[in-house]
Amino acid sequence: MGATATEKILSRATGRPVRAGEIVYPDPDLVTVHDWYVVNFDKALSDLGIKRLLHPEKVVISTDHEPVAVSVHAAERQRKVREIVARHGITRFFDAGKGGLGHIFPMELGIVAPGMFVFAYDIHVTNFGAIGCLGIPLVTEISEVLACGNAWIRVPETVRVELTGRLQPGVSVRDVAQRMIADLGPELVDYSVVEFAGPALAAIDVDRRMTLCNTPIEIGAKSALVEVDEVTRAWFDGRLDRPWEAQNSDADATFKAVLPYDLGLAEPQVAAPPTPDNVMGVTELAGRRIDYAFIGSCASSSIADMRDAARILKGRKVADGVRLFVTPGTHEVARRAAAEGLIETFFAAGAAVTAPGCGPCAGGRIGAIASGEVSINTGTRNDYGRLGPRDAEIYLGSPLTVAASAVAGRITDPREML
Amino acid sequence: MDFLYEGNCWRFGENVGIDGDMMPLEFALTRELDPAVLGPHFMTGLDPDFPSKVARGDIIVAGRRFAQGNPHIQGLIGAAAHGVGLVVESIPRGSFRNAVNAGVPILPSCPGVTEMAETGDRLRVDFRTGLFQNLTRGTEARFEPLPDSLLETIALGGWKPAIARRIARMRAEGALP
Repeated sequence: MGATATEKILSRATGRPVRAGEIVYPDPDLVTVHDWYVVNFDKALSDLGIKRLLHPEKVVISTDHEPVAVSVHAAERQRKVREIVARHGITRFFDAGKGGLGHIFPMELGIVAPGMFVFAYDIHVTNFGAIGCLGIPLVTEISEVLACGNAWIRVPETVRVELTGRLQPGVSVRDVAQRMIADLGPELVDYSVVEFAGPALAAIDVDRRMTLCNTPIEIGAKSALVEVDEVTRAWFDGRLDRPWEAQNSDADATFKAVLPYDLGLAEPQVAAPPTPDNVMGVTELAGRRIDYAFIGSCASSSIADMRDAARILKGRKVADGVRLFVTPGTHEVARRAAAEGLIETFFAAGAAVTAPGCGPCAGGRIGAIASGEVSINTGTRNDYGRLGPRDAEIYLGSPLTVAASAVAGRITDPREML
Repeated sequence: MDFLYEGNCWRFGENVGIDGDMMPLEFALTRELDPAVLGPHFMTGLDPDFPSKVARGDIIVAGRRFAQGNPHIQGLIGAAAHGVGLVVESIPRGSFRNAVNAGVPILPSCPGVTEMAETGDRLRVDFRTGLFQNLTRGTEARFEPLPDSLLETIALGGWKPAIARRIARMRAEGALP
């Protein structure tokens, strides 16, 4: 009997064949941690009497949740992070101005490759599934991986989604990714890897695949993977100078479910508070006044997302009384956006462009909103309090929808501006 | 650790949020892990007086997708601070893992349990065997308990003592630098 991609990747990492449901201790190829949590893991290890990491060479640290320290307290904490990184001999440290969002730039720089296995602190490591790399978040127990080399996980089952059809005009993969988690539902995907395959994949580039792999974790998936294909190979041309081996699911692997999904059915979607799967067609919410808009986050900050935003913003102005922040995910994205004239478009439209990283989505540390305000943005979540005050209202949409809404000052169907 | 809890029932509905409902998001952002700090804010998003009303040994009964959201551990450390047990219809895996890591006894898969008790009922729950008794109503039910390996982590007090033991073992074997 065949194996799923997840079972193959975890079998290699565990050193023996493993199957869904088993409790295993896989050795990761890479471990990712972000910003301030470095201080926490250092303290946790110090409390445990650990002075040296087992494999500092496997660790990647990025300053992305708060690349620009917004308080003296934050600056002091950043200084501590730099001291800890140096003390542990961690060489792959991407401080402010270096890499950008740690769920994206390791793909751009060829640090992660297809078939690799990554343990992470942060949940959106699932983005690496875009190139067929399995990223599993552990949160607190990342300290155990740093000290002892691994930690327990139950090998997840796989829910395979076979994509068919074509997107309607004005609809983006973000709309599909948002709609899909509502359609799949938390009961089905809980603790599963959502794997994307099917004929429609050929038309979805790696940037968009990151978006597909970003949303399932919001409803409890363990991770997400896209089948490695020609699109993946083309994307890695010139980025990766070492051999890599794709791990795709066998046709006779055991899946928890195999579901067809027609891209053509989705319309522009908006997720209303307080959960990302509380989605509805944009027309149902059109007209809702907004104060604040944001384009960025690990769900929607690729060059493709920047181009979408610019398509709407070119020659238009952000509405009076609305502030729009645009955060390119990484330095590579920001540089390309500048080279293509997108940054100029954003500034000309009256948007503010912020340092590469997570942007306001990282809990509103940068660019919080005020009590009672209404935001539409491309962030990952819309819990009460995600951008600061509990009584602020947060809607999630695609870069097209958010840009159109910022221009109109109200939640707006982007198809009216295309 | 004694896995037999007897106390008052506190019933909540479906989709109780880990951030906001169970614990202000701010504590997740500042990575606060101290039970003494987090305890006074536990469940205050849903009931501002909850920390002063709840007692050790009490049991939270909740509907599906308890502790949903970005799996921050702070809300579950809040539960540990009050010494409560959790009996829930379902819980996303990230928060389930955090419950084990925080050392909170839990029955994670109890379909229909919100129909079997209401706030104020006297409950007795054996987290080792999965026996759920409503002493007020005189009813009982059985649910799937956790496997021994996870009960062991909870019995040790959660992830920290469990990893301390692992490190001690690895050090004894000369497996650490």
